[in-house]
Amino acid sequence: MKNPLKNISEADRLRALRYAKVGTGVAYSLIRYALLISIGFLIIYPLLYMIVTSIMSTTAFNNSTRVWIPTEIGMKDNFSKAIEALGFVKSFLNTIKLEVVSALLEVVTCAVIGYGFARFDFKGKKIFTGILFLTILVPDMMVLIPRMVNYSNLDFMFIGKGIESLVAWIGGLFGAEWIINITPNIVNTGWTLWLPSLFGVGLRSGVLIYIYIQFFSGLPRELEEAAWVDGAGPFKTFLKIAVPSSSVVFITVLVFSLIWHWNDSLLSGMYLTSDLPLASGLNTVVPYMVQKWGIYFTANTPQGASIVMAACLLFITPMLIFYMFIQRGFIESIDRVGITG
Amino acid sequence: MSKSKLKKARGIEELKSRYGFFFVLPWIIGLIMFFFIPIIQSIIYSFCSVVVTSDGVKTTWVGLENYKEILKVDPKYTTWLTESITSFAYSLPIILVLSLILAIMLNQNFRGRVFFRALYFLPVIIATGKVMSYVFTTTDENLVEMGVSAGMASGMIKVEDLTSALNMGTEVATFISNAINNIFNLVWSCGIQIVLFLAGLQSIPSTLYEASKVEGATKWEEFWFITFPMLSRITLLVGIFTMVELFINERAPMIEQVYGKMRGGQYDIPSAMIWFYFIAACAIMGILILLFYKFILKRYEA
Repeated sequence: MKNPLKNISEADRLRALRYAKVGTGVAYSLIRYALLISIGFLIIYPLLYMIVTSIMSTTAFNNSTRVWIPTEIGMKDNFSKAIEALGFVKSFLNTIKLEVVSALLEVVTCAVIGYGFARFDFKGKKIFTGILFLTILVPDMMVLIPRMVNYSNLDFMFIGKGIESLVAWIGGLFGAEWIINITPNIVNTGWTLWLPSLFGVGLRSGVLIYIYIQFFSGLPRELEEAAWVDGAGPFKTFLKIAVPSSSVVFITVLVFSLIWHWNDSLLSGMYLTSDLPLASGLNTVVPYMVQKWGIYFTANTPQGASIVMAACLLFITPMLIFYMFIQRGFIESIDRVGITG
Repeated sequence: MSKSKLKKARGIEELKSRYGFFFVLPWIIGLIMFFFIPIIQSIIYSFCSVVVTSDGVKTTWVGLENYKEILKVDPKYTTWLTESITSFAYSLPIILVLSLILAIMLNQNFRGRVFFRALYFLPVIIATGKVMSYVFTTTDENLVEMGVSAGMASGMIKVEDLTSALNMGTEVATFISNAINNIFNLVWSCGIQIVLFLAGLQSIPSTLYEASKVEGATKWEEFWFITFPMLSRITLLVGIFTMVELFINERAPMIEQVYGKMRGGQYDIPSAMIWFYFIAACAIMGILILLFYKFILKRYEA
């Protein structure tokens, strides 16, 4: 077959190629926007749903002719009920006290541990790195119950018993009855969350340590070596040289740790029976509603939807505000941390 | 202080190794107290009958009874297990492919990139199991009302429709209908994966793409010969993260059930349940990682 393009001049051919290129470019960007917007809709949809539902009254929610715009506003009622059901002020303060403190502790200890892994060669480092990955794989569920049992009499098999008998012995020395009778029990106190965080085995600490290791390994060694030569100790080097140049990784880890802690209700729901944080409070909103006002929230009887959505909104708002503030920095820092290795 | 110690130690390396141990020491203590000991206890509980009394727990050895109970007597356990594994089977590939595509798109230069990036990272911030399950308690019915097309509404696409209309095999139809019915969950699980893939894409040197452009490679070839091979390591990382997440997140069917039982104060049977589940999950993850290593990583790293 004859080549149909044979008689076309070189200039025309180039122009045609350019048009084709522009055409595919336009088509490609159209497809990109279509995909990004449609999947973006799936992300924004639950948020919109939450906002819209939370501001409408129950009658408006049950009105089948309504699509998005509520026919009747019942915002004040919904939110006041949601605040009551959540015990918002108290739970919020509890969340700060328990989860945020625990997250901050975790960020600090994991930094120290990650630095140790990244910068020093010590005996058994390979084995410990392997164990670190194992801790990431093991679900919290497996250690939840034994930890709970141990917390309830501070009995880490033999260590806790040792402490107890030591305390009893000291009490015996002074002849003080009350010291002998101390049976340490930290269930239902903040220590159940703080202690693991303090030792770098808290909520997903393994992942955080891994991020720190990746970052510190990529940090140039020269400055630290210079500090070593000048006689600064390792902790001083860490604090004065490594930490100031690591704001990027601290932001990343802080964000992850805070979010995971904020959203976690497994651990706090297990160890704490009173003074619950927001995430656990959210679980009890529905039973509270049923008991107090007789409002149900199931697939078939969704009357309580407005209140529940208001509660959800109250729960996520602090994190949303936090995200808005750090968003730019967070996205940049993710690029620069070098998690990819 | 360190100068005098420098002289005492045999070499700076040995000194450093000693210090390194100090840095890691809190973690090792924590590991023993909050990880190893509880894990051993958990194994023991799974082979015992556990009774909670006022002064601690009483355990009596029952051997494999708990495991027999969950696997042979209780019909629900095996249902949860298959449920977990099927949901894992369709979630993993979809999450990986979807987040890779989204990351590639978000990595390009276009108008509104900052907005879309911020939007797609939202699930990282608010992907709480409870919030999502509350939203979907009522939306299943309301999706259609709220103006979403009928096909997209969860639960609207039935396996039978697919098999009859498109002449598909039942397995494929089940896979597709599961995927569509869970589209919200799946998209909402992509947050961190997109972040990680984006970081990976940023680390690919741009000179590679420039060179390929000079050679006249198409976008398609660019993806398969540069992007994909360069991302193989991060894909493994994201894959492992996703698998762990799918198996242990609080909305996984098995985790939900076991947690309910544990909060109810039953310690022995749930321990056995979670151990069997963990071993099964590890086996599946191990096989997948090995396959990935053998067929993808090895090929590109060689």
